[in-house]
Amino acid sequence: MRRSASRLPWTLIVFLAMASVPWIGSRYDAFLAGQITIDALFAVSLNLLLGTTGLVSFGHVAYFGVGAYVCGILMKAYGVPFVFAFPAAGLGAALFAAISGYFCVRLIKLYFAMLTLAFSQIVWAIAYKWNAVTGGDQGLPEIPYPDLGWMSAIPGCGDLSTGARFYLLTLVLVAVALAILHRIVRSPFGRMLTTIRDNPERAAFIGLNVRAYQLAAFIVAGGFAGLAGALYGIFSRGVFADYVFWAKSAEVIIMAILGGMDYFWGPPVGAAALVWLNQQVTDYTQYWPFVLGSLLLILLFVFPGGLVGGVVAGVSRLQRIIAGRDA
Amino acid sequence: MAPSFLFSQFMGGLTTAMYLFLIASGLSLVFGVMRVINFAHGSFYMLGAYLAWQAVQWLHPSPEGFWPAALFAACAVALLGAVVERLFFRSLYGREELYQLLFTYALVLILGDVAKFLWGTGQLSVPQPPILAGSLHIFGTTQPAYNLFMMAIGPAIAVAGWLALNHTAVGRLVRAAAYDREMLDALGANVGSIYTGMFVISSFLAGLSGALVTPIQSIVPGMDVLIIVQAFIVVVIGGMGSIWGTFWGSVIYGQVLSFGILIFPGFSLFSVFALMAVILIVRPWGLFGRPL
Amino acid sequence: MFATRLLAAAGAVAALLPLSAGAAEPIKIGFPIPLSGPTAVYGTPVLQGAQLAVAEINAQGGVLGRQLELLPRDSKASADEAVRVSRELIIKDGVDFLVGTLTSAEAPAVSTVAKENKIVFIAPTSKATILTDPQHIHPYIFRVSSNTDVEGLAGATLMARWKDVKTVATIAPDYAYGRDSIAAFSANLKKLRPDITIVDQQWPKLGEADFTPFITAQMGKKPDAIYCSLFAGDFITFTKEAKPLGYFKAIDNRMIDPAEVGTTDEAQALGADYPYGIISDSYDPVIWGGADEPAAHKKFIEDLKKFTKAKYASGWSIVGYQSIYALADGIKKAGSADSAAVAKALLGMSFDTPVGERTFSVKSHETFAPEYWGVMVREAAYPFAVMKNPEVLPKSFPVTN
Repeated sequence: MRRSASRLPWTLIVFLAMASVPWIGSRYDAFLAGQITIDALFAVSLNLLLGTTGLVSFGHVAYFGVGAYVCGILMKAYGVPFVFAFPAAGLGAALFAAISGYFCVRLIKLYFAMLTLAFSQIVWAIAYKWNAVTGGDQGLPEIPYPDLGWMSAIPGCGDLSTGARFYLLTLVLVAVALAILHRIVRSPFGRMLTTIRDNPERAAFIGLNVRAYQLAAFIVAGGFAGLAGALYGIFSRGVFADYVFWAKSAEVIIMAILGGMDYFWGPPVGAAALVWLNQQVTDYTQYWPFVLGSLLLILLFVFPGGLVGGVVAGVSRLQRIIAGRDA
Repeated sequence: MAPSFLFSQFMGGLTTAMYLFLIASGLSLVFGVMRVINFAHGSFYMLGAYLAWQAVQWLHPSPEGFWPAALFAACAVALLGAVVERLFFRSLYGREELYQLLFTYALVLILGDVAKFLWGTGQLSVPQPPILAGSLHIFGTTQPAYNLFMMAIGPAIAVAGWLALNHTAVGRLVRAAAYDREMLDALGANVGSIYTGMFVISSFLAGLSGALVTPIQSIVPGMDVLIIVQAFIVVVIGGMGSIWGTFWGSVIYGQVLSFGILIFPGFSLFSVFALMAVILIVRPWGLFGRPL
Repeated sequence: MFATRLLAAAGAVAALLPLSAGAAEPIKIGFPIPLSGPTAVYGTPVLQGAQLAVAEINAQGGVLGRQLELLPRDSKASADEAVRVSRELIIKDGVDFLVGTLTSAEAPAVSTVAKENKIVFIAPTSKATILTDPQHIHPYIFRVSSNTDVEGLAGATLMARWKDVKTVATIAPDYAYGRDSIAAFSANLKKLRPDITIVDQQWPKLGEADFTPFITAQMGKKPDAIYCSLFAGDFITFTKEAKPLGYFKAIDNRMIDPAEVGTTDEAQALGADYPYGIISDSYDPVIWGGADEPAAHKKFIEDLKKFTKAKYASGWSIVGYQSIYALADGIKKAGSADSAAVAKALLGMSFDTPVGERTFSVKSHETFAPEYWGVMVREAAYPFAVMKNPEVLPKSFPVTN
């Protein structure tokens, strides 16, 4: 990571700050923080495809949706405890990613994007019409919270509401997931992915099975998106067909780019910025899409590196100036 | 199943097809020449509809105001397309396709709110032009004259486009630009103007289709998002960049929808996306397209 | 990123500072309702009715000495959005009550939010059974509107009057309300006229843009009459497409639509394109055309016209209006704005409306409201379709609680 030599453990600081929200913040702050946490995981999972492997998927929300429905249906209709439903959601999404990814990675860029979109709309159509299972238009409201009574044993958590406890659980689960993803991106596997992104022909030349790697990335990304979806279903107290509409895929791409898709921590920053901005803007006007579209234009034409990219560029510029002065 | 009934469904499917063809043709054109998926194409369609409604209001109560209104809408949207291409799109050509896609999506967001701001959030309606308000009785079914008109326009535009592309000097340049932009550039042709021209024509078609759909559908926020996915499906099935491909893609799509609700009622929504996926898996360049 | 966190933390600390306790705080009522899209033609006037009620009540000093504050939000007729804005209204805006939603996709979803947060939720228009059935009922949900059982009895009664009709087709949006509406109609029709067969059923989705394939498929079955539960913008689009195809002509305009396309709102939206001759209903016919219009209704219409500055009053505003008054009465009866107390107070409570008294049943928290039904005809005095001789149906409904 191109961070300057910084001895501050930023990730730990942020984690502790976010963990403190249920105590020092209002219920609404915890609500926003929960939204940001889940979106961060979703955005990072997408970035495994977008930033790391160079695959532009316009249908990532399909896996988010599959995860949400799997977890929601298991917990609501079958009373499966969260501890099983949650990983099941990830596995279900990963399985769907394996099937759809198998076909998608065979295609070149533009067709790849279109096929991901097609699969995501298939999920949407099924969610919309399969009333018996997915609730159709009605969706699945009233997803139960997992049993969080055990959290009373943790010092300080006794007084927290179920919602706040679930937020903390979400934070921990997402932190673990992000840590795993971070390891994956930094591993030799992750490096292969960047090699493929930078020059697929060369990668093939040196003996990499490009398709297999891309499919693997697709499956991992899909699985983690499914986990994010499962958390979101419980967080939002319901799973609805509109969660899987393609516009949400565009939204998560924007999060990744807003934060900076060249950096692992770019997408979470983008997620936080987008959620925060959305709240601020919708307080004043109903024209949030206009603001978002304009923001996107600014990103595309002025700051393609996103927020983190801009900060990093700014910081290294500063360092050069300082170094220049010293020299 | 009575033959007149089948004929009814068939004609219904054909009507849907021709509306879609009109809008999808512009999308296909832009893709074929510029290799860009223009999400904002649906927004241009929506603006065409709103502008036609607005022009009809201005020309009220003239009953034949619909036709100049439709033309006005198409031209206005074409102009918007020219502005967008020259000012913004130009600078994105060298960049990653992702940026071009996101740019068109940004336009979708912005234009959607512009329409809401100008025309509100309710549903608007345009009455049918009197000259086409009647219907014909064919094979024991009632066919609205307006639908028949649309069924005529579709092939007319397809033929005109095909002729223009294949039998004119300009058409040859456009096809060359689609094949190999750099070579054409090196040969001295003004590729930039070709691109702008294509975008303008595409926008004109989008605006026109939006205007022409207003007598039989409602104008409502969200129509941009709904139509663009349908247009994508059609273009994928038929083949991006191919006029006849888009034509036949629309016809297939229309019939699948029309007969779909008879044969598998719950699945018609699902089946068009499944069809899109199948084509992309088996023959990504579509039925009539060329491998990229 | 750190700056964002710092700002968030600072904001959180600031939020903890005590609010300046000034005059008595207003009672906040969250009002999620579709304000955009095809259903806005119904949603917007419902909100206006509520706003009129709030204005009237506040002018008379409010409730328990506190003013009412309405917080409307666009729910876009989607369950997803309705839940999102409702949760925000509760968590961020701290509303005391929820009133609103239009469709039966939104209401049941918001009902779960209300249940979890223990906030009274009054639904003015949702008719589907799922809202108050035994598996989903809870202390905080109340329904001012009719329901599909009541509606189905009325619809079937009217259909049964056409002695020469032997085959019927149905078309309804494919979601809870549409399904329940047709189910109730079919069940009642079977009892009243076992000789009628249902030859075709079409299920376009809510918000469908192109009804043509459904229309032609239905016409192919040649029904004598049609029961259609399409409403608001969907009915407008449907009519636009169906008329030129000869759909209405083929059935001689023998259509019954229980989804309030007989309101002045819908009639005005369709204008000259209205399929005159169909039968529909409305909670408020607005244009009474007879000697037996209640005086309270006359006054209500005058006030409504003045408030909305519209030439013709809306047939939908009454439900928003009623809901707010019902809530206000509940708060007064409970003597507090605490939802638990109000929920208890509303059980079995009767409240006045411009068209008569209604009572929340103890068992299912609904009013089983009848509606006004009639043939929609042309009338010289009005540029839109008007209900002829509005009749209250069903005459009686077997309420088992």
